[in-house]
Amino acid sequence: MLYKSLVYKFKEIIKENGTIFTEEDQLACYSYDAYAEIPVLPDIVVKPSNYEQIEKIIKLCNDANIPLITRGAGTNLSGGTVPKTGGCVLLTTGFNKILEINENDLYAVVQSGVVTANLAKAVESKGLFYPPDPGSMNISTIGGNVAENAGGLRGLKYGVTKDYVMGINFFCPEGNYVKSGGKTVKLVTGFNLQGLMVSSEGMLGVMTDITLKLIPKPKTSRSMLVLFKDMITACEMVSAIIAAKIVPATLEFLDNFTINTVEEASKIGLPTDAGALLLIEVDGYEGQVEEEFSKILEISQKMGGELKVANSLEERNKIWEARRKALSSLARLKPTLILEDATVPRSRIPEMMRRIQAITKKYDLTIGTFGHAGDGNLHPTILTDRRNKAEMERVEKAIDEIFEAALELEGTLSGEHGVGTAKAKYLEKEVGKGTIIYMKKLKNGTDPKNILNPHKMGL
Amino acid sequence: MDDIINELKELEELTIQCMKCGTCQAHCPLYQKDLEETTVARGKIALIEAVFEGRIEKASSILKHLDYCLLCGRCKINCPSGVKTDEIFLKAKAILRKIEKLPTWGKLVLKIVIEKPELLAKLSPLIHIGQRFGSKKIKKNILKPLISSFSERNVYPIKSKPFCSEFGGFHKAKEEKLRAIFYPGCAINMIFTDWGRKIIEILNHYGVSVYTPEVNRCCGIPAATLGEIGIYKNMIIENYKFFNTIDAEYIITACPTCQYGLHEMGEKITREYVKKKYYDIMIFIEEVLGIELESITDEKITLHLPCHYDQSKEPKLNNVIKKLGTNFAPMENRNCCGFGGTFNIKNYKNSRQIGKTKAEEVMEKGYKKVLSPCPGCVMQLTDSIYGENLLDVEITHPIELVYDAIFKKRQ
Repeated sequence: MLYKSLVYKFKEIIKENGTIFTEEDQLACYSYDAYAEIPVLPDIVVKPSNYEQIEKIIKLCNDANIPLITRGAGTNLSGGTVPKTGGCVLLTTGFNKILEINENDLYAVVQSGVVTANLAKAVESKGLFYPPDPGSMNISTIGGNVAENAGGLRGLKYGVTKDYVMGINFFCPEGNYVKSGGKTVKLVTGFNLQGLMVSSEGMLGVMTDITLKLIPKPKTSRSMLVLFKDMITACEMVSAIIAAKIVPATLEFLDNFTINTVEEASKIGLPTDAGALLLIEVDGYEGQVEEEFSKILEISQKMGGELKVANSLEERNKIWEARRKALSSLARLKPTLILEDATVPRSRIPEMMRRIQAITKKYDLTIGTFGHAGDGNLHPTILTDRRNKAEMERVEKAIDEIFEAALELEGTLSGEHGVGTAKAKYLEKEVGKGTIIYMKKLKNGTDPKNILNPHKMGL
Repeated sequence: MDDIINELKELEELTIQCMKCGTCQAHCPLYQKDLEETTVARGKIALIEAVFEGRIEKASSILKHLDYCLLCGRCKINCPSGVKTDEIFLKAKAILRKIEKLPTWGKLVLKIVIEKPELLAKLSPLIHIGQRFGSKKIKKNILKPLISSFSERNVYPIKSKPFCSEFGGFHKAKEEKLRAIFYPGCAINMIFTDWGRKIIEILNHYGVSVYTPEVNRCCGIPAATLGEIGIYKNMIIENYKFFNTIDAEYIITACPTCQYGLHEMGEKITREYVKKKYYDIMIFIEEVLGIELESITDEKITLHLPCHYDQSKEPKLNNVIKKLGTNFAPMENRNCCGFGGTFNIKNYKNSRQIGKTKAEEVMEKGYKKVLSPCPGCVMQLTDSIYGENLLDVEITHPIELVYDAIFKKRQ
C-alpha cells in the first residue's frame, strides 16, 4: 500500500490522458506474466500518455524508493514482469506508434509499445522485412522484445532482436533521457548503450523510442516437412544441410511426443511412429531458392527421410500447421505448462535430446520437445499440474538437470526467454562470479537505489 | 462470503487451463481499444483466481471487469490452451451476482422482456407509439430517440404487432418434404418481423413446413450475461419443452446468438438437450435445401461475420452471398461489431467506438450493402454506419436478398 499523498502525486503526474490503477482488483491484473509463478500484486499501475509523464514517474519512484516495473504485453516466460516486492507497474502499451519507416535508409523508428506483428506487417507492406518473430509476436511489444532479446523461428539465418537494434532512447533510473545509437549503419560515438538495453529485462532504463534495422523482403520461399524414423537422423540432417553451405530461414524440430500430440489434436496426417520431424523453409531469390531446395531434397532422400513438399501457399500453410500447433496441442494435455528454452550449440542437439529423454524418464514426467533445431534452441515443454505438489517437486529437479545438461554441453540456460526470477538462481553457474559482480556494479552505478525491476537476475 | 469463494474455486478446473500466455490480447476487441489487462480474458481469469486464492478480499469488485465483455468468444476460439472462457465468465458472473445484486432497471427489463413474453406482446403497440412520438425519423424505418441519453443512437422501431402474434403456428408447405421449427428470437419477434415472414415464405416455397412459436420465449442469453443464470436456465428449459412437443427434425434460427444460447451454451448449463438439428437459416438453405440462386445485384456488397456464427460454416455462408451479388467481398476488419447485447446498453460509448471501425471500412471501400446474418449486428452496424452519415448504405440480414432472388423482387 502506498501512502495517499504518494498516490496523489502519481495522479497529478498522469492526469492528462493517463490511466492509474490503485484498487486491488485492478492491481491483480498486473500481478503475473506468462511464467507459472505465484502472482504478486503491485501497489500502483500507471499508463502514462507522454514521455514527460514517464520521466516524472521515474523521478518520483526514485525519490520515494518505489520499485518500478516496466511492462509491455506481459508475455514473458521468466517472471520478469512480476512485481516481486510490489511497487509501481509502468505500462508502455499506450506508446504504440510506428514513428517512421525509412525505405531509403532501411530502418524503422517505433515506440516501445508497438506490437511486433504490427511492425512486421507495416514494413512488409513496403516490401521490407523485420525478421525477429517470437512466438508471441501477435501480442508482444518491441520494448519487451528488446528487453528480453526475443528470438523466434528465423534465428539461424536472420538472427534475433539484438541484430536489428540500431538505436534506443531511454530514461535512466534517475530520470535523465539517454540517446544511444542512431540511424546510420556505422556509428561509434560513445558506449554502445543500445546494446546495453538488449536483454536488460527492464533493469537499466525505460525505453521510449527504438530504431530498428530493416532488410529487403526475400522474393520467394519454399517449405518442406521431413519425417524421420529416429531423432538422431533428424539431427544429422540438420548438420548435413549446414555442411552443404545452406542456411535455411527456418529449421524447426518436433519430437515424437509432440508429433503424436499434434496429430491427436488436429488430425493433419502426421505419421505417429515418426521419431522426429523437421520443418524446413528456404528463402531468397528464385534461382537460389530452387537450387537450395533441391539440394535439401537430395540430402533428405539420402538420409531416408519421408518428404512432404509444399507447392502452393495452401500446401505451405498445411505444412506449417504441424509446427504452429505444437505448443497449443501440448498445452491442452495438462493444466500447467512450463516452457523451457535451454539452448546448446547446434551440433550438440542429439546429445541434449538424449539427456532430456533420460530426465523425463528419471522423474516420471510428461515432456514434449520442439524448437529451433537450426540454432540449437530447444523447447522442452513440461506438462504438469501446479496443484500436484509431489510432481512439481520432481519438475523442479528436472529443470535443474536440464539446465545442468545445457551448460555441460556448452550451451545456455536461456536462448530467448530471459532470466527474470525463473532462472535467477542458475545464472551464476553459467556466467561465473566475476560476471555477476560486474553486472551488480553496472546496475548499482546506474541505479544506486535499485529501483528498476529489482530482484530480477538475482540483483 | 466463504460460500462465494468456494463456488468460484469450483471453476478452478476451467481456469487452471489458462497459462497466461496473453494470446487473447490480440483477439479481444476491448483490449485492442483499451490496451489494459483488466479488459482481456487472461486478466479476468487471473481475477477469479485471485479471489479464490485469497489475493483479493473484495470478491464483488471483480464483477465489473467480468461484465465489461462483449461475449464475442474470440478469446475462446483463439486460445492455444482451449480455455472455455465463455463458460468461465458466465458461471463466475452467476456466482458473484449473489452478492452484487442487479440494479432495478436490469431486474425490471428481465422480468418483462424475458419472463413475461405475453405481457411484452401486449405492450408492443404502446411501445411502438411511444417510440414514434419520442423520436425523429432519419430514414425509412430508422429513428433517432429524443431522450437525451439515447439521442446519439440510430435505432429500428419496435413493431406494433410482434412476429409471433401474427405468424405463430403451423405453416404447411404445399408439397411438404421436411418439417422445421423456426425460432425467431426477440429481435425478429419485436423488430425485424419482415425477416421472419420472408423466412417462412422461402421455407414453404421449397417444401419445408414451418412451426413458429405462438409466444416468443427469449433464449435467455441477456439474463446470462447479466449473471442471472437461473432465469437463463428456465428459459432454455421452457424452449426445450416447446421444441420437444413439435414433430420436426430441424430448429432453424436467424440469430447466431440465440442459437449459441439454445444449443451450445444451453446444453452446457442445463445438461439437457433436444434431439433435433440446429441450423442457421443461411446454412440451411445452402446445405439442406441446396437452393439455386441467381445474382440480383452488382452493387458493392460486404459481409460482417457475427461472433457467435459457426465459424466453420463461413465458406458456405460466403458461397450463398457470392451467388446473390457479383461484387462481393467479406469485410477485412474481422473484429466484433461491438454490440454485445447488454454490453451496448451498459457501455454505449465503447460499443460505438468499436462499431465505428466497421463503418470506416464501409466508407473507405464504398460498400452499398452490408450484410450480416444476425439482428444484433445489423442493429449495431446500422447505428455505426448511419452515425457516420452513410445513409445510402443498406444494412440487413442476407436472407432478405435471398428472398428477393427467389421471388424476383429486384433487378
